[in-house]
Amino acid sequence: MLSVENLGKIYGSGSTEVRALSGATFSVERGQVTLVVGSSGSGKSTLLNMMGLLDRPTSGRVMLDGTDTSGMGDGRLSSLRNSKLGFVFQFSNLLPDLTVLENVMLPVQIGGGSGRAEAERLLETVGLKDQMHQRANKVSGGQAQRAAIARGLVNRPALVLADEPTGNLDSVTAASVVDLIKSMASRLGQAFVIVTHDREQFGEVDRIVTVRDGRVMQEVAA
Amino acid sequence: MDYRLRLAVRMLSNKKGSMAAAVLAVSVGILVMHVNFVIFQGLFDAFVRDMSDYRFGDIYVTDEENYITKADTVLVGWFERMPYVEAATPRMSASASVNATASVGRVQQYGVPIVGVDPVTDRRASGIHATVFEGEYVTGRNSLVLGATVARDLGQIGVGDSVRIKVTDRWGQDQMKRFPVTGISGTAGGQGLDSSMIMHIDTLRDLMSRQGQTDSMLVRLSEPEHSAQVRDIFLESFPADDFVAETIEESAEESLSGFRSGIAMINMIGMFGMMSSAFAIVTIQMMLVTSKTREIGIMRAIGARRRDILVLFILQGLVIGAVGAGCGTALGLGYTFYAKETKMSFDGSIELEVSYDWQKITQTALTALSLAIVASVYPAYRATKLQPVEAMRAV
Repeated sequence: MLSVENLGKIYGSGSTEVRALSGATFSVERGQVTLVVGSSGSGKSTLLNMMGLLDRPTSGRVMLDGTDTSGMGDGRLSSLRNSKLGFVFQFSNLLPDLTVLENVMLPVQIGGGSGRAEAERLLETVGLKDQMHQRANKVSGGQAQRAAIARGLVNRPALVLADEPTGNLDSVTAASVVDLIKSMASRLGQAFVIVTHDREQFGEVDRIVTVRDGRVMQEVAA
Repeated sequence: MDYRLRLAVRMLSNKKGSMAAAVLAVSVGILVMHVNFVIFQGLFDAFVRDMSDYRFGDIYVTDEENYITKADTVLVGWFERMPYVEAATPRMSASASVNATASVGRVQQYGVPIVGVDPVTDRRASGIHATVFEGEYVTGRNSLVLGATVARDLGQIGVGDSVRIKVTDRWGQDQMKRFPVTGISGTAGGQGLDSSMIMHIDTLRDLMSRQGQTDSMLVRLSEPEHSAQVRDIFLESFPADDFVAETIEESAEESLSGFRSGIAMINMIGMFGMMSSAFAIVTIQMMLVTSKTREIGIMRAIGARRRDILVLFILQGLVIGAVGAGCGTALGLGYTFYAKETKMSFDGSIELEVSYDWQKITQTALTALSLAIVASVYPAYRATKLQPVEAMRAV
């Protein structure tokens, strides 16, 4: 469904050149939960950003549903991000000016739809139905992260990319978010790629990709 | 509601300080335009109003050959049978030297204009009779009304005093006559006959040996907007005569063209004021874009195109412009209402002719709205240039 081939990313040039990622090659299949693990600065977020079409690689390519995305313009990439990908970020990243419900509806509305019914259903699933009319900056971190997961799923994307989705949460809330992601993956059949430095927290997953010093060191089928 | 508009409104309402500053900038720009209009256009219209009321009527008729030889009764009768015409009156003018003996001694003034009026028709066609603040208007052939400036220059001559007037007649002979002063006329702003003397038209004709002749005709209309139509009919009706007929707009244009240029310049300064409000909006919008960098990154990450971000911030400009235009227009209308109701004038000078020019009001509001939108284009464009990954890193 999504594969990366020989992906590389270099920041800066000359004496300030930093090779953040080099020769990354692996693929993600439908319905799988894949963990991308590694220490801080290992390049896992860089990898996720390029998989999510948020950043362009210096070398290599990202294939989405068999289509090479490297030559696509900004509008096409935006459209793909909106229709085929879902995102969950470390700091929930809800828009504080909107309510929880409006945040969840947003990807659908960007795509030209309404999304209200689906957003309400997802918010009920993640246990936030009674909080949906609250401003996003008025709910707790755990609730915001649940809302962010609902937002990541509302467009029924084939792949959800999560960057340290539990990184900013206490252990109890983090555990509930992990359970939620796993249950969503099994119920909706969507692929999840989760970047984390805490592998244990996620327990059993389909695959684990280890990134070290900008290189994909190990790809293990769990 | 479109999500971009909703977000634009929410972003602004959550940045009340910035919103207030931007709205204030637009409102002040509009208010300046309204104040300019009330004062300067009001002054212009007041001059036109007084010129029409005292000196030119709605239509001013003269003759290319200096004097109208057709009997004034014929012309007055013709005009008063026309639709839209309220009254018409003949006028005669000349120049005289005046002698008076006042408390300061004997005073002589040269080249004082004299206006001859028909006391009956002039009261209906002109408002000059209402400017007599001491004594009474011309009633008979021996009446003489002095303009306030003339009375002052002659040593504070008042009603009951007498003056001697010397006029050169059509044959070049000096004609002298002594008159009792029956009234003093003065107007705020001096647009009346403050620097002239007013007497019975037949007396002046006698003095000038121009019996039956008329210098000009003032025509007062009940519906002044038809003045061009009445003028054209008049000119077509007397093709053999050498009449010249002008509407008050044409007469005023000649006298007040410099003033009109001044108004255009003042309006241009006002427009620059409005444009400076656009710079304020650019600055405020840039601050908003900077403060919302992270949100822009999130939106881009979940699929918003550059065009969506552009539209979002231009809609912010639209909201600022719309609220600013609304507030500014309300303030401007409030000021206009105040000026109209209080019959605004400055230091007892001419009373402003305040009007609601809805076309200009709409034009000003739309200009401010457009400027606010245009001013938002650059900040919006800058917002579209933010890359999602970098934008989301912003704190």
